[in-house]
Amino acid sequence: MTPFAAAPDPSAAGQLALGVVLAAAGFVLLLPKPRGRSVAGGTAALLVAAVVLGLWSHRSFGDPGADWVEKGLFILFSTGAVGFGAVLVAQRNPARGAIAFAFVVLSTCGLFLLLAAPFLMAATVIIYAGAIIVTFLFVLMLSQAAGPSDENDRTREPLLGSLAGFAFAGLVLFALQHNHAGAAPLPAATLTADEKAKLADVAARLEPLAADDFYRPDVPKQGRVAQLNAIEQEVGPTLEKVVGDSPGRLEGYAAAGSIRERLGAYRTDTQARTVLARAAAVRDAAYPALRAVETAVTEPGRGDPEGAKAGIRRLRDEVRLLSGSGELPARNVGNLGLVVYADYLLAVELAGTLLLVATVGAVAIAHRRPATA
Amino acid sequence: MIPVWHYLVVAALLFGIGLVGFLTRRNLITMFLCAEMMLQGVAINFAAFARYHGNLHGQAVVLFILAVAACEAGIALALFLMLYRRGRTLDASVWQALREVGVPPTVDPDPLPAADPGPPDPVLTPAGRRPAPTAEEAARV
Repeated sequence: MTPFAAAPDPSAAGQLALGVVLAAAGFVLLLPKPRGRSVAGGTAALLVAAVVLGLWSHRSFGDPGADWVEKGLFILFSTGAVGFGAVLVAQRNPARGAIAFAFVVLSTCGLFLLLAAPFLMAATVIIYAGAIIVTFLFVLMLSQAAGPSDENDRTREPLLGSLAGFAFAGLVLFALQHNHAGAAPLPAATLTADEKAKLADVAARLEPLAADDFYRPDVPKQGRVAQLNAIEQEVGPTLEKVVGDSPGRLEGYAAAGSIRERLGAYRTDTQARTVLARAAAVRDAAYPALRAVETAVTEPGRGDPEGAKAGIRRLRDEVRLLSGSGELPARNVGNLGLVVYADYLLAVELAGTLLLVATVGAVAIAHRRPATA
Repeated sequence: MIPVWHYLVVAALLFGIGLVGFLTRRNLITMFLCAEMMLQGVAINFAAFARYHGNLHGQAVVLFILAVAACEAGIALALFLMLYRRGRTLDASVWQALREVGVPPTVDPDPLPAADPGPPDPVLTPAGRRPAPTAEEAARV
């Protein structure tokens, strides 16, 4: 079976090939060379290639999303990154190329922000802004702007280089299209939207049990017990069904369609295991918390309303955490630090050693040795 | 939420453009910036997969990419300084004597275009006659 026969839509592959060839031709025309450089032709070919590839992406991977703000920002940042990257490659003047690279970095930082990585955005701006300024100073110090020069007005093998680069990019894009449409999808999200909605519903139903009004002794006991029983009737089976940890405990609810069945059967990664453990903990914590509430309501002498309330709040928070598993945490910096220093401690030490060695090496290389007799 | 595929497309294009620049350009600093652009494309991939899988491991890897890129910048700029001191140029092809044995050297057949001399210096139109020196102004002559 040839790769093209395996593609679901051969015309989409043809569209991709057209866009890649157009982009390569645009760079061949646009790269600086003493003879045959055509800025207008190259720019036109690159613009057409960008349109063709954008249409191909829309056709192969669907609409980027329903949110107009997010979609607009994504299109702005991605076209900015790719466009200024093309300017950096095709620009004769290396100082202007450095400015274009600064815009590439800024656009990438915008994409990081859309990907919920604000710390990476800040770190990239700080580190690359410093690096770019240093590079820019190097350009100003080392390159004389007097007329054409070998390094700025000539390129090595513009045809072969453009073909090699865009053959690589085209193969990657073709593999992406192939995998998107084929039978090898990426692993699905940990929790489905249905499970998330059910868990959020459970958290909302637990809310009245955490209120002070529920434990006031002057309200008749029967009404509160009936309310507690109603909530328990709703919450218990829902948790059992979603978590699916012990199908024998509650009659009539098999493990089918539960988190355990879905994740345990198909996912073996650490994230799925964490979700399973958390789901089991939620299920196990639900019954003691509800029993404590019952004791506090029915036997005010023995029960502990404050403890029951705290237990219900804890259970509610656990349910919310479970329903939010698979999402990135809101406190990006703290949790990123936790991941880096807990899971990648050896790598952090190695990176620090690498920085130290690089500093020593840079000083040793650039040091001007005094002429000794 | 934008699907992960669109970010992967942007990352692949950034990597491809950076590869073209790294293969074809001859200015060492431009080549360095193109390599950094390829790293940016890879970083977008990692951040997109971190968002998709809902954990922060991909973002942690991007932090290490930043650290390695900083090392690379330091070493590369020191090397550029050294090479510039020896060859007085940033052209990578000057060092092609280091190529593999048996590979023919690349020659540049086309001459470079002549340097644009720029606009000529302004010349003032002569106004009047040069005054004859007087006795009080003997020192001026």
